[in-house]
Amino acid sequence: GARLGGGSGCCVSFCYSFKVVLLGEGCVGKTSLVLRYCENKFNDKHITTLQASFLTKKLNITGKRVNLAIWDTAGQERFHALGPIYYRDSNGAILVYDVTDEDSFQKVKNWVKELRKMLGNEICLCIVGNKIDLEKERHVSVEEAEGYAESVGAKHYHTSAKLNKGIEELFLDLCKRMMETAQAEERMKGNGASQFGAARRGVQIVDDEPQAATAAGGCCSSG
Amino acid sequence: MPEEQVEQMMEHMEKLVMTRLHKWVFCHDSCDDEQKDLALQRRIRSLKWVTPQMLRVPFTDRGPEDADPYLPAITAIIEMDAKRAPQDKLCCVSKCSRNIFQAVGSCKSEPACADDFLSALIYVVLCANPPRLHSNMQYVARFGLPHALRTGETGYYFTNLSCAVAFIEKLDAAALGLSPDEFRGFMQGGGATGALGQAQQVRQQLEELRRRQEHVMEQARSLQAQLRSWAESTQTRADEVAYLTFFPSSPLRRVDDGADCRGVAGRQEH
Repeated sequence: GARLGGGSGCCVSFCYSFKVVLLGEGCVGKTSLVLRYCENKFNDKHITTLQASFLTKKLNITGKRVNLAIWDTAGQERFHALGPIYYRDSNGAILVYDVTDEDSFQKVKNWVKELRKMLGNEICLCIVGNKIDLEKERHVSVEEAEGYAESVGAKHYHTSAKLNKGIEELFLDLCKRMMETAQAEERMKGNGASQFGAARRGVQIVDDEPQAATAAGGCCSSG
Repeated sequence: MPEEQVEQMMEHMEKLVMTRLHKWVFCHDSCDDEQKDLALQRRIRSLKWVTPQMLRVPFTDRGPEDADPYLPAITAIIEMDAKRAPQDKLCCVSKCSRNIFQAVGSCKSEPACADDFLSALIYVVLCANPPRLHSNMQYVARFGLPHALRTGETGYYFTNLSCAVAFIEKLDAAALGLSPDEFRGFMQGGGATGALGQAQQVRQQLEELRRRQEHVMEQARSLQAQLRSWAESTQTRADEVAYLTFFPSSPLRRVDDGADCRGVAGRQEH
């Protein structure tokens, strides 16, 4: 979940940590999308990263530090039942489909249902139509996709990993929305909502670490 | 206190406390972890016949002499049981995962995606059949620091290991792209198929050896023939030389004495 770290005493600096899951069928280009965002590379022979399964990115949004962890999830049909294990504690989800592939859009719809069932409205959903450089071969209409996204409370984006279009905007927007959600929860907590509930959902203050230790079955007290 | 320092301290505390508590709380009698360990171990053993191709693991078959590229990952996951602190166990999982990325990288030009990684991890778990896997994962989940488990790289690897185990437990024909009949056949004859495969291999090796033996024999025979003809031609030349030496000027007596001479030379040779 998101961690809100604050130094005790002097200059309090906040740092959000968000977990974002990446969902999509094999050939929709989700790997290219994150590699473009985190390494600014596309089908590059010089890609030195061995993997695109777990990537991180540090951002600074309106003076607040944000650590983004992007978890790629296995999207093949045979791994379908494993979804819930990946989604746990995630703050956001990026659901990618290929605008030239109607099937991949149907798969996105299935994932949306599952995510909402498991995590309710706590999770920020982004539906992403990738490969807009292949506009001529488009099989999923813009109206249909945007209409669907609105109906499930998700935001819709168009991207092209090849042309590096729309990707920065997608991630920046998602981070801002996750920050808003985290701040709203923080306020709830301030109003006397259950501390444990809030901690589990996302925001946690680092000086509350002993609490985490209790949850983990430890018996030490620090602080 | 700065966040980093707090985290470091928590890690030290965890290691200290859990190293000491390990022998009391690991796989405790109050839970059925031991039963589940045995069940998982049996399950994995019954799936010994699953090939990398069935799991769609990135794999380049480079002949039987070359070692499995996933061997370092297999070794790392087996090591997990020997560690005591949850963070040390998690280190083994991370090491295993990084070795998997290395292996996938050697078989595939693009960076590994989650599908590659998870299928390779499933393959590694099936090959390794790590001791007390269920207990080890429960122990880490119960006593490990929550932030190490849920966020960050380590968290990602541990989550994937949970996925791999869940997949193995529920694995069916469709998941491997087999028909239900084929799957049943493999499950029933898992061991037999393995032995059959081995027998086949041994038979092939024997066949190869026989072929090579025949080749050697053939070569030996031809060498023998060559030697014989060489000895004969040398004998003839020696006779001629001897005859010419002893009777340089009497070509009329050549035939009789030549026979004598050959007899002497023949005796000497034998």
